[in-house]
Amino acid sequence: MNNRPVQQILYGIGGIALFLLLASVFLLAIGKPPLTTLATMGVYAFGDNYSTSESLVKATPILLCALAVILPARLGLITVGGEGQLYFGALIGTSVVVNFPGGPMFALLPAMLLLGALGGAVWSGLAGILRARFNVNETISTLLLNYIAVLLVNYAVYGAWKNAANLGWPATIQFPPAATVPSILGTRVHLGLVVALIAALILHVAVTYTRWGLGLMVLAGNRKIGAMVGLHFARNTLIVMALGGALAGFAGICETSAIQGRLQSGLSVGYGLTGFLVAWLSGQHFLRAVPIAILIGGLIAAGDALQLYSKIPSASATILQGLLFVSALAASGLAGRREIRHG
Amino acid sequence: MSSALVAMCGVSKQFGAVTANDNVDLEIRAGEVLALLGENGAGKSTLMKVLYGFYHSDAGEIRIDDRMVRFVSPKEAMASGIGMVFQQFSLVPALSVLENLLAAFPNAPWLQTRGRSRVTAALGWLKRLAPNLDPARPVRELAVGERQLVELAKVLNLNARVVILDEPTSVLTPAETEQLYGFIRSLVAEGKAIVFITHKLGDVAACADRIVVMRGGRVVDRALASERTPGQLVSAMVGREKLALIESPVFASSTVPALQVRGVSAAVQGAQISDISFAVAPGEIFGIAGVSGNGQYALAEALAGLAPVTAGDIVLGGVSIASHDNDGAIPDDVAYVPERPLDNAVVADLDLGINLALRQVRELPLFPHRRAIAARADALIARFDVRPPRPALPAAALSGGNLQKLVIARELSDVHRLVIASYPTMGLDVLATQAVYRTLFEQAAAGACVVWISEDLDDLLAYAHRIAVIYGGRIAGIVRREDASRQMIGRWMAGMDRGEAA
Repeated sequence: MNNRPVQQILYGIGGIALFLLLASVFLLAIGKPPLTTLATMGVYAFGDNYSTSESLVKATPILLCALAVILPARLGLITVGGEGQLYFGALIGTSVVVNFPGGPMFALLPAMLLLGALGGAVWSGLAGILRARFNVNETISTLLLNYIAVLLVNYAVYGAWKNAANLGWPATIQFPPAATVPSILGTRVHLGLVVALIAALILHVAVTYTRWGLGLMVLAGNRKIGAMVGLHFARNTLIVMALGGALAGFAGICETSAIQGRLQSGLSVGYGLTGFLVAWLSGQHFLRAVPIAILIGGLIAAGDALQLYSKIPSASATILQGLLFVSALAASGLAGRREIRHG
Repeated sequence: MSSALVAMCGVSKQFGAVTANDNVDLEIRAGEVLALLGENGAGKSTLMKVLYGFYHSDAGEIRIDDRMVRFVSPKEAMASGIGMVFQQFSLVPALSVLENLLAAFPNAPWLQTRGRSRVTAALGWLKRLAPNLDPARPVRELAVGERQLVELAKVLNLNARVVILDEPTSVLTPAETEQLYGFIRSLVAEGKAIVFITHKLGDVAACADRIVVMRGGRVVDRALASERTPGQLVSAMVGREKLALIESPVFASSTVPALQVRGVSAAVQGAQISDISFAVAPGEIFGIAGVSGNGQYALAEALAGLAPVTAGDIVLGGVSIASHDNDGAIPDDVAYVPERPLDNAVVADLDLGINLALRQVRELPLFPHRRAIAARADALIARFDVRPPRPALPAAALSGGNLQKLVIARELSDVHRLVIASYPTMGLDVLATQAVYRTLFEQAAAGACVVWISEDLDDLLAYAHRIAVIYGGRIAGIVRREDASRQMIGRWMAGMDRGEAA
């Protein structure tokens, strides 16, 4: 019991060592010097203010999508729908901009953000209703809803919302300044990061210290006992799914407004799935997800930079990211096995 | 008496800090029934599992036919003629009786359609033990008593010379028990050695030749069965001359019932109850007897308002408490000690403090005081003797008996109008059992209607004011304690006739 934190740190170090080993093997295989390349990546990720801000930009949607996975996980639900909720949130949030592009900022910006969150909540809530009322597996339904949301966005940007001025490029109009999420300190880091950090903190307190969080733990541990003492699995399923979806939808509209400036297909580069992996690496823990999301954000940002400056294909970053996840899961898997053996 | 077939000498076995067997000597002789007596946790099963090769002893030796043996696995023990029938059966429920027997039969043909004679051979013992049992039936349809006979046939098929039976009568009706005694006598007459692990004195009186009593991992008495009275055996098992006598509270049968169960039907996990009616008055202890699996679980869940009632109604103090949907909650004035507490009563991953606070989980403050929960848990844990007394431990870390005490601490620490207790003393030793009975009777004395589901006919006859027998999901009969007899209840339990004596 007492040496558990120490053990966790040891396994963390083991995971990092494993990652460095696997990454080196991979870099050698593509003919790059492993140590210098990895060091360069570190510099590109967090070496100066600009790199750090770009890493935080990448980390923002990932963190929000991770929170959208962790909250349902506290009730024992496994959702993989971050991507679809992100897309659907972006779609609904954009609707107000497309229809009232000349609206004043005090009305347009909040309406856009709220509708974005609402869109994500509805998309995730759909899976929640299916689970609560008809016991449809939420993992499957959220997975399938991902495809639908992505295609709905394509339908909009190739069709009714396509801006004729784009010369055929499938995207909406450029968002006016009144519909642009404010950024921080002149960087591309935007309000979404602040919201994500506050949400992580509030959710952590809510599930760890409140009666509601206790109820979630009871329902997740033994649904029958939860019902027996008057807790409602169905109602809580809807709540956690909708809240989680709102965060992912918010990520979608922020990414559209602050980073891309217009709704277009290929809005997300797998932020939803990456968020899912971050959630699992964090052990479904809101606060632990924050540094992990930032680290992964850094890896993605560095990958983009490497492609530009070191002529390493951008897919390498994705491969390295995969190696990092595998190493971390292997380390935590080993830790779990030891615990079982000693338990 | 014949010479020793198996001799265990100085056997010791530790589990962590717990000594399960401490320097135990034991002889098993051919043509003899050895009753291995003792309380739960006395080390009887552990000792036999050492002999069976399931555990490895830390010290001591085992000789069979005067040859030293050291079994690494049950497979080796079986090859030397040691067979064991466990409390938890090792049959595959989805397979038929025949398939289960063939799976363990050393000489089984590789295709069932071939080797007819060997298939017949695999059924030889079963035909003797249970001539009416159809070998094509899937095991999941069998009653517990029938499963036990299949398990026994499986062991005998391996040419076991020593057959170890672990508490075999705990799941049988009185008639099935008598039958089992008969089989045991005939096996012994053929020269087999039987080890009968039990804590029931009735088993000893019925068929034991020799007795070994264990307590706290040691042998405390060994004698011929004829040399000991039941009183001597109890004090050897419990370690005290006399247990404090407990009595159920006085109850005036003229009291107006507060719990009315009227024509209730329900189904839970495939088990059905139909048209169940009875009434229980405040202060009355209403016992429900029956072989397990006859609808007790469905009845308890329906009474607790957890399982939907498909017909009829359950009224407590003039208010219907019957549930009509699957997510029913338990009413505040009902206490429920369900069977299989790990599945039905606790959240295994959460700590004891939270598990003890579960009934109040909706009334806790928005930010529950962890310290207040732990303090309350400390008091309950001390009062009900839950071990180890650490509120921060997850419920999954408790043994079965202590889990039972934990649930009883949660449900029976306050007085309720209706108390439903299913097998509340499962896994508890004599002293803990008495403590549970005392708690249960206090509830009745304070005016609760107590519905007590049990398999222990002797305890029901000793303490319940009335006894109902459930068979095949229906009430086979209800009788006042004064008018009840073991024979009558035994016939009802076996479904042989139905009656309404009271």
